[in-house]
Amino acid sequence: MSANIFITEETIDGVEDGPLADTTVAVKDNISTEGILTTCGSAMLDDYVPPYDATVVSRLKDAGATIVGKTNMDEFGMGTTTETSAFGATENPAAPGHVPGGSSGGSAAAVAAGEADVALGSDTGGSIRCPAAFCGVVGIKPTYGLVSRYGLVAYGNSLEQIGPFATSVEDAAATLDVIAGPDDRDATTREPPADGESDSSYADAATGDVDGLSIGVPTELLEGADEGVVDTFWDAIDDLESQGASYHEVSLPSVEHAVEAYYVIAMSEASSNLARFDGVRYGESGGYDGNWNETFATARKEGFGDEVKRRILLGTYALSAGYHDKYYKKAQDARAWVKQDFDGVLEEADVLASPTMPVPPFERGESLDDPLQMYLADANTVPVNLADLPAISVPAGETDGLPVGLQLVGPAFGERELIRAGSALS
Amino acid sequence: MAPHESSFVTDIEPATEHVAGVGIDGLAPYRRVVTFYPHQPESRVMTAQTVQQGDLVTVIGLEVHVQLETDTKIFCGCSTEQTDEPNEHVCPVCLGLPGALPVLNEGAVEAAVKIGKAIDAEIPEETRFHRKNYYYPDLPKNFQITQYDEPICADGELEVAVEGTRRTITIERAHLEEDPGSLQHVGGGIDTADYTLVNYNRAGTPLMEIVTAPDFRSPSEVRAFLAELEEVLEYLGVFDAERDGSLRIDANLSIIPEDEIESGDIDDIGSSALETANRTEVKNISSHKGAQKALAYEETRQKNAIERGRAVEQETRHWDESRGITVSMRSKEEEKDYRYFEEADLPPLRVADWKDEISIPELPSARRERFQAEYGLDEESASKLTSTKQVADFYETVAAEFDPDLAATWVADNLLGELNYRDMEITDLEGRLNEVTRLVELVATDEITAKNARETVLRSMLDDERTPEEIVDAEGLGKTGEDEVQQAVVEAIDENPDAVSDYESGDDGAINFLVGQVMQKTGGSADPGDVNQLLRAELEA
Repeated sequence: MSANIFITEETIDGVEDGPLADTTVAVKDNISTEGILTTCGSAMLDDYVPPYDATVVSRLKDAGATIVGKTNMDEFGMGTTTETSAFGATENPAAPGHVPGGSSGGSAAAVAAGEADVALGSDTGGSIRCPAAFCGVVGIKPTYGLVSRYGLVAYGNSLEQIGPFATSVEDAAATLDVIAGPDDRDATTREPPADGESDSSYADAATGDVDGLSIGVPTELLEGADEGVVDTFWDAIDDLESQGASYHEVSLPSVEHAVEAYYVIAMSEASSNLARFDGVRYGESGGYDGNWNETFATARKEGFGDEVKRRILLGTYALSAGYHDKYYKKAQDARAWVKQDFDGVLEEADVLASPTMPVPPFERGESLDDPLQMYLADANTVPVNLADLPAISVPAGETDGLPVGLQLVGPAFGERELIRAGSALS
Repeated sequence: MAPHESSFVTDIEPATEHVAGVGIDGLAPYRRVVTFYPHQPESRVMTAQTVQQGDLVTVIGLEVHVQLETDTKIFCGCSTEQTDEPNEHVCPVCLGLPGALPVLNEGAVEAAVKIGKAIDAEIPEETRFHRKNYYYPDLPKNFQITQYDEPICADGELEVAVEGTRRTITIERAHLEEDPGSLQHVGGGIDTADYTLVNYNRAGTPLMEIVTAPDFRSPSEVRAFLAELEEVLEYLGVFDAERDGSLRIDANLSIIPEDEIESGDIDDIGSSALETANRTEVKNISSHKGAQKALAYEETRQKNAIERGRAVEQETRHWDESRGITVSMRSKEEEKDYRYFEEADLPPLRVADWKDEISIPELPSARRERFQAEYGLDEESASKLTSTKQVADFYETVAAEFDPDLAATWVADNLLGELNYRDMEITDLEGRLNEVTRLVELVATDEITAKNARETVLRSMLDDERTPEEIVDAEGLGKTGEDEVQQAVVEAIDENPDAVSDYESGDDGAINFLVGQVMQKTGGSADPGDVNQLLRAELEA
C-alpha cells in the first residue's frame, strides 16, 4: 500500500531565485495555501480551499521553494500518530508497520521517504518533535512568537508554532531562516532580542561545535521512559560529551503536572477555535431537521472525528461556569509554574536534553483505543509548549531497529544554540 | 449581551402579544397571584401583595452599543464604510476564515480612551481581550472578541439634565468588542425561513458597549441620557448618529415598591431590593425616542401587572417598534454560559500613557455653560448652539467677528431653523460656512436688511446653492445708495404737490404717503426711517 503521506499532491512553484531555489517542500495540511485544498485531515474541511496563503507559504514561495503537496496529519493536529486523519493513516518510512508519530506525521514521513527535501509542520504539544523522532529526521519547534501563525488553522493557539523538518539540522535551520521573523498579521510575533549572533543565519549556526556546552538533563523526563530509549539517549549524551560538552542532572518538579495542564489549555482553546466549523460555511450545510442550533450540532457531529469531538467536549467543560477555576485557571497557574521552572534550570545550563518521546514508535493501531496512554506519551514535549520555548529533535540512534529522538530545549529565542548542539549529533 | 441578539425573536404567538392586556383585563381577584403562580418564590408574591401600601418606583439600567467611527474594522484593514453590496468589505480575518488572526486597530482603542476621558472613567495600565463563546449564525468564528474583566473604561459617569434637574448616571464599564455580521431571513424568521443570507460587511466593526448602573428612574431620564451620550460621542468625533444601526440599546427595567427601599431614598436602592424585584430585559431599541417609548410601555405593563396582583415574569422582551409594544422573546436557551477566556492572539496592550497623550475637545455641557457666561446667552440658545460640535464651532467663529447676540440669532434661530425646515444638518454646508459668515457681515454692516437677508438670501443660499453676493445682485437687494434716495426724495416732492401742500398745511399724515412713494422708487431697499428724515429735511429747507 502507499505510505499515504500526502492528502493533496500538487506543485506550487516559488519565484526563480532565492535561498530555497531547487528545494522541494512538503507542507502540513493545516497551513493555508491559496487555491489549494487545506483539509486539516478532517472531513469537515474536505472541500475547503483557502483564498489566501499563510505567511510561511508566501515566504517559502518568495525564497524560491517548490511546494510539492499538502501532508497528512491527525485531524486538526489532535493526535500523536497521524491515525486520527479522516484520510487514513500514514506509514512510517523509517519503521514500516509503525506510526510516523503525529500530528505532523505526513510531513516527517515525506522527508524520511525522500518525497521532499524539507517540510513544514506545526507543534502544539510535540506535533513536530514526535514525528521527527519516530521517523528519524530533524524537527524544530521554534520559540512562541518567532514564526508567524497567520494561515495556520488554530488548534491550541497560545501553544503552537510552525516549524521545519529536514534530514539534516542545517537544512532545517535554513528553512527556519526563511520562515522566521515578525509578521504584521500575527500580533504575537516578536523580533528576537538582539545579541551578538542575531545578524547571522540559523543555518550558519549548524557548526557542530559543542565545546564547553553545558547540558542539563531533567531527571523527571527520563522517569518511566522505555529502557531502550533511555540507553539510546545516554549514548547520544556520551557522544556530545566526547565532543567537549558536559552534562548535569537538573530537576523540573512542575512537569509532573504538565500533561494535564497542557490538555486542559489545548482542549479549551480548541473548543473555541473549532467552533466556527458549524455547517454554515464548512462541512455539510443544511438539509438537517430542527432549528439552527440542532443543525449546527448535526453538522459538527458528522464533520468531526471522535478524537476532535472528545477534545472539544472536554475543553468546553473545562471552560464552563463552575469548572473554569477548577480546570482552566488551575492549568494556567501550572503553566506559569512550568515556565518559571524552565527559566530557573536554564540559568544553570545552556540547553536541556531528554528523549523526545519516552517510547519508540507505536505499532499502527496500537494506541487508538486508549487516548490517555497516548496523551501521556507527550510528557516530554508538552512542557516546552507551555513554557513557549524552542526545542529541536534530532535522531539519536535506534532501539530494536526503531528510531529514537533526542530533544534539546533552549531559552526563548535560543534557536542557534539548539542548532549548534543538534548538528553535533549528525 | 451580544448586540445581534436583539434581532432574535422566536415564536411570537398571539398569546404573547396580549401581555399588553395583562393590566387592561386584569379583573382577576387578588389571590390569583397565588393560584396562578404557586411555585413563584415567596418574594415575588410579596412584591405583588405589598403594592397597595405604597408607590412604585421604576428602576432602569442600560447596555448601550455604539459603533465607533474608525476608517477600518477593529481587527483587520477592511473598510467600515456602509455599502449596499453584500460581503464587499471582507477579508480572511473578519470572515473568520481558518488560520486568520486578529490584529488590533489602535484607532478603536484611541476612540475608547477618548470616551473614557469624557465620562471620567478609570483607564487601566493595560487592556486585554477575551473570547465570548456562543453559537449564532451571524458570528463568523462562533465566538466574539470582547473584553471581560479588564475593560478599557470602568467606573465613569455622565451628568444629564432632566426636566430642570441634574442627574449623575454611573457608567459601570465600557468595553471594546467586534460587531457580528448581519442576517437576512428569506421567507420567515430564523427557524422558519426558506433560507438565510449572511452579510459580513458589518462583522468586525468596532463597538463600544457602555453599561450603566440601574440609575434611571423614568423613561424620560433614559432619553435625556442617550441624547447627552450621543452628543458627547459626536463631540469626540468617534460616532456617527446618521449611520444605520450605529446605536443599539438593551434596557433592564424593574418596578420596586417604595416601601421596600431600606434607605427610604429612591436614588439609593439597595441591592437586595433590586435582586428581589423581577426585571425584564428589553432588546431591539435603536433610538432615544424608541427607548423612551419602549420603556414607558414596559413600565406601564409591569405597573399594571403588579397593581392587578400579577407577578412580573423575569424575561427578555423584544421592542416591536412598528407596533409600539414589547413582546416576550421566550428564548429557549437557559442561563447563558459564555465561557470567557483570554484571547491569546492579541497580546495585552499598554494604555497607561494614552490617557495623557490623547486630548479631547471641550464637551457639550461645559461648552453650554461657557457660552452662557462668555457670550451672555440664555440657556436655550446656549443649548441649541452646542447641539453639535460643528454648530458650536461655527457660532464661535461668527461671534468672534460680530456681535455675539447677532451671531446667536443668526446661527441658532435663522440658520438652524432654515436647515431644520429642510431636514438638513450644518454638516451639509461643509465648505460653504464662510458664505453664511459673509451674509451675517452684510447684515452687520447694514448692506442689506435683516429681513431680506433672512427671507431671501439665506433661503436661496440653501435652495439654489448661490453665494450671498450672487443673490443680492440678482435680486437687487443692496441697500440703495444715499444719492439715489436723495434723488427719489426730490422727485417725490416734485411729483406730488398736493401732498406737499397738505404737509405744509399741517397734515402730518401726508409724509407717510411721500415715504411710500420714495420706497416705491427705490424698490423697497431704502430704510423707511431714513427716508422720513430726508423728506422732512427737504421739505423744511
